[in-house]
Amino acid sequence: MSPASTRYKGKSGQWAFLGHRITGFLVFLFLLLHIVDVSLLRWPATYDQVHRLYGNVMLRLFEVGLLFALVFHTFNGLRIVAVDLFPDAVRNQRRLFQAVIAITLLMGIPGGIVILWPFIDGHLL
Amino acid sequence: MTALDVPPTKPRKPNSRKRSAEAWSWAFMRLSGLALVFLALVHFSITHIVNDVVDTDYDFVLDRWHNPAWRLFDWLLLVLALGHGVNGLRWIVDDYVRRPGPRKAVKGVLYSLTAVLVVVGTLTILAFPTRPR
Repeated sequence: MSPASTRYKGKSGQWAFLGHRITGFLVFLFLLLHIVDVSLLRWPATYDQVHRLYGNVMLRLFEVGLLFALVFHTFNGLRIVAVDLFPDAVRNQRRLFQAVIAITLLMGIPGGIVILWPFIDGHLL
Repeated sequence: MTALDVPPTKPRKPNSRKRSAEAWSWAFMRLSGLALVFLALVHFSITHIVNDVVDTDYDFVLDRWHNPAWRLFDWLLLVLALGHGVNGLRWIVDDYVRRPGPRKAVKGVLYSLTAVLVVVGTLTILAFPTRPR
């Protein structure tokens, strides 16, 4: 493996690239798990039993992480498409990346609160 | 010798079939990505935001998959997400696994796993009963 192969010019572009890779990889791993757990629908009682685990606090935190990864990957992907379609957008690329971060936080934090609500509310511990 | 020192007389032409496959791969990533913005975010919102995750049990699926349009929605999500993910991972493997032998092996595992999951996911959707239990 040569480090030069994935080295870039640094700054926001480097972080966007790295973030896109890591979040894409993590979402893919979750997808593998999710296809397997949904396949348990063939055995309704087992499905419900396994599915209940997703309501656990630890797994809720994991779901919040999934939400952040998903939203970041989505909007960073849209940034990439925007730059492909309008090459002049490169001039504002730092601003675009900041918008990606802002949207990730704006959607991730309220979404995370909703997901963790039963726990915050004290229903669940 | 850096790339700039290569004499410009004989530019190395990539295999044209391979190049066009990469162009398709590039287009697929954009198009599937755009579709997934909608599919994945709607799916996540329904199963985690609008409904609490513990409520999306067997009966929830029974209600939802009563409508074939939702089965199609979920199947498209399955296939496009796996396709988008496997293609992204193929790029990652190309970047980090440089030796041809291991690269082939890693990709073999990746493609087989993906193929199995497409089949498992499709069967899960198709084999699910239409009428309430």
